[in-house]
Amino acid sequence: MMEKSILLVDDEAGIRKVLSIALSDLGYQVHTAENGLEALRIFEDKRPPIVLTDIKMPEMDGIELLRRLKKISPDTEVIMITGHGDMDLAIKSVKYEATDFVTKPINDEVLEIALNRATERITMRQTLNEYTQNLEQLVQDKTQQLVEAERLAAVGQTVAGLSHAIKNITGGLKGGAFVLEKGIELNDQKYLMQGWEMIRGNVDKITNLSLDLLNYAKATDLNIQACDPRQPAQEVIDLMRPRAQELGIELVSDFSQDLNSCHFDADLICRCLLNLVTNAIDACRNDDPDAPDKKVTVRVKKARGWGVEYQVLDNGCGMNAKTQKRIFQHFFSTKGSEGTGIGLMISKKIIDEHNGVINIESEEGAGSKFFIKLPKVSNG
Amino acid sequence: MGNRKILVVDDERDMRIFVSTVVETSGFEAIKAQDGMEAIEKADLDPPALVILDVMMPKIDDGIQTYRRFRTDSKLSRIPIIILSAIARKTFLHSIRLLSPHRGSVLPEPEAYMEKPPDAGELSRLISKLSAAES
Repeated sequence: MMEKSILLVDDEAGIRKVLSIALSDLGYQVHTAENGLEALRIFEDKRPPIVLTDIKMPEMDGIELLRRLKKISPDTEVIMITGHGDMDLAIKSVKYEATDFVTKPINDEVLEIALNRATERITMRQTLNEYTQNLEQLVQDKTQQLVEAERLAAVGQTVAGLSHAIKNITGGLKGGAFVLEKGIELNDQKYLMQGWEMIRGNVDKITNLSLDLLNYAKATDLNIQACDPRQPAQEVIDLMRPRAQELGIELVSDFSQDLNSCHFDADLICRCLLNLVTNAIDACRNDDPDAPDKKVTVRVKKARGWGVEYQVLDNGCGMNAKTQKRIFQHFFSTKGSEGTGIGLMISKKIIDEHNGVINIESEEGAGSKFFIKLPKVSNG
Repeated sequence: MGNRKILVVDDERDMRIFVSTVVETSGFEAIKAQDGMEAIEKADLDPPALVILDVMMPKIDDGIQTYRRFRTDSKLSRIPIIILSAIARKTFLHSIRLLSPHRGSVLPEPEAYMEKPPDAGELSRLISKLSAAES
């Protein structure tokens, strides 16, 4: 509720008296001042929302008072009282943002209209302020809700992906247990062996899953040391060669000879390359067995502006653009229940922590190329 | 005793072994196929009493196409089918409905639908029920 007070400024005592009565009748609490300086003093003290002032006064005229009032409090509604022939001053006062002007002799009705207009402007401004503030509050509330919802969605996706991976493994374990039980029940060697293998395979899967998760979750302290960039690549080749041979896939190393040593965490880079090579072998394996010879290449070379570049290339099944966009996402897998969707997510995390970049080029049916670039010094 | 052959179609070895074991220990003979192509070939050669068909991500298309081929082949269309799937029943039914209009007639729904991983007892009961209805 707005306080209905008004400051009346006029150097003529008679006018102050008559107008005070009229304004009191209209329900205003009236403060009066006989000149500009006194008006400013009272204004500072009472802060009335409306000021009614004569234009022509000694010492400080109404225009100057208007200017100062607007400077102190731009929202104050100032109504000017003008005499006949003060048109120039009236126009000047409008320029300084007077609300209105009334001419002497003052007609009560005209004064009331001017006061109502001023009150209306005050109310409108207040409403507008409330709306604006509410809007800011509303935007803030909604933003907070949105941030929270997104965080929950991210957690939800992670949990959903994880529970899917666990559900697949549990399914495998249950199936294995069933086959094994039938083997025991019927004393059937085939069921015994198959059931046992299923259980063992799924125990391996859940062991790997928990290890992967642990590795992903733990805050990695990079163990950065100067190393030969070929070393992690060679380790991966040695580790994966038997499996590639078993599947009839050629595993090729293509290392540049003129490489400088780089600073990185060799274990983590090895792990990252291992993920890529495992994927490359899987991509070759999924393909038609009658297709031409399958080949996975691990390349280590110099890269302009970087310490070293690794490439893992395969001529396997490749992937479409939609899949390429999703591969680094949490728990996204193209391998059905064979994959957990953690491998590339970890690889990306490792490369990010080295301030490196990891990219892919791939074409469905033509194979994939993964590129990793590491800076000369990874300060993690 | 009628036809005791049941065709088990699944691209995952574990699931193939599990479902085949359920089939065999329920007193039937399991014929295994790794994909849709192999399934149609084997069914065409020697029509089974029942088909247990996996409709799996990410090769959902293969499973649904295989289902359509079974349903639209004059020789195989009457064989009951159990769908095993990790996808929701509704999604599967929507997919087969989308495939139907091109053929003029609507593809019938499968005789049974089970979410993966299937429960051995329930699967065994379904196998007995559906193969009995056939013979």
